[in-house]
Amino acid sequence: MIALFMIGSAMLALWPIPGLVRKRWWKELICFAVLWSMGFIFSVMLSMRINLPPITTIINKYITGMFGI
Amino acid sequence: MLLEKGKISNFQLSVLIVGFVFGSSVIIPPGQGAGHDAWIACALGLMEGLLIVWIFTALAKQFKDKTIVEINSLVYGKILGKCISVLFIWYLFHLGALVLNNYARFFKLEIYPATPKAVGLLLVMLVCASTVGRGIEVLARCGLILAPLTLLVAVTDTLLVIPHIDLKNLLPILDVPIRKLLFVSHGTASFPFAETVAFLMVLAFVDKPEKGPSAVSRGLLISGFIFIMVAVRNAAVLGQMGTVYNYPTYIAVQVIDIGDIFNRLEALVAINLITMGFIKISILLYGTVLGLAQVFNLRSYRPIILPVGILMVILALTNVGNTLEMLEFASKGYSIYAVPFQIGIPLITLVIAKLRKLPPKGEVNS
Repeated sequence: MIALFMIGSAMLALWPIPGLVRKRWWKELICFAVLWSMGFIFSVMLSMRINLPPITTIINKYITGMFGI
Repeated sequence: MLLEKGKISNFQLSVLIVGFVFGSSVIIPPGQGAGHDAWIACALGLMEGLLIVWIFTALAKQFKDKTIVEINSLVYGKILGKCISVLFIWYLFHLGALVLNNYARFFKLEIYPATPKAVGLLLVMLVCASTVGRGIEVLARCGLILAPLTLLVAVTDTLLVIPHIDLKNLLPILDVPIRKLLFVSHGTASFPFAETVAFLMVLAFVDKPEKGPSAVSRGLLISGFIFIMVAVRNAAVLGQMGTVYNYPTYIAVQVIDIGDIFNRLEALVAINLITMGFIKISILLYGTVLGLAQVFNLRSYRPIILPVGILMVILALTNVGNTLEMLEFASKGYSIYAVPFQIGIPLITLVIAKLRKLPPKGEVNS
């Protein structure tokens, strides 16, 4: 599963990177790399069944607690 | 550098608004918390929604050809403006993940119980990313084809279900306490009517910006009337059971059976969700990537579409623990959580812009 993720993510990265390097769009390349890395790390964590914090549940608990609803 | 070169007409904008408002509301009709008085909650919510639309379209009209990110930078200055823009972009991103989550839950529960959620969501996201990459014009053309079909299906379903309607199910009118009705009405305004605040990223690309407010209101009114019709239909067909189901529209349409030939029309409701969900997710993804590109001064938003789409899918898969938590957020927390983004940011920005007499004359349309 993780190997599949690696291959998929690598393909996803290989697609736009050559074009960005050729055009010398460094800022776009950095943005892409940061977002892609975040997606890759979270995907690997999900595939390893590591629980990520449920953001909406946390927001809901905070709001319902604050407003007493 | 201009990030978006496309232009859409006011008619296309209205159609996109209809598609956006329908979004996941095709299966989760607004006002459910008010039971058989859902149609009253819908009507009140529509009025509040129109008021909110008036606020953010007034802002867009004042700053023609500018998205909310550019407006924030002008009104609050570069640093504070970008911070506020990031908050707004977070809302678009989170809303996209919530719509994807609704999508996944519905398909897991009703259509494809054996298919992993991630597979369906990735496929939907690929289609949305592909459309967003082609720009706002292509998205608007998709809306022109898909939204009228959805309206047609909603009206046809209602006509076909008439033999099963029992209007006594709507009585007694105003059965819910007024406080609860008002809270549910506000919930109806925040989901889905006021979510059209996402169009602050799109209104800059309308070819006649002065007619933008009327186009948005027109789209909202059309979808609002359809929702009221659907709420009356669901309550009249399902009666007290309507409050038990997670997806009353899907169940209400199941009763259609004309001569043992014309049945199982609930599949059309699922198709409507696919098409309208696609419009809504695409607009939210478009707003998110365009906003990020403007915040970071990128030359194009296209390179970041896929990574942001994948992050949206990951948030959709992890943002709530279970369906109950999702329903609780939708019925309680969301209507408060959304207020700063739907009313707060546009209203405060509009007031400050008026006080500071922004934009200076001669700078509009420059």
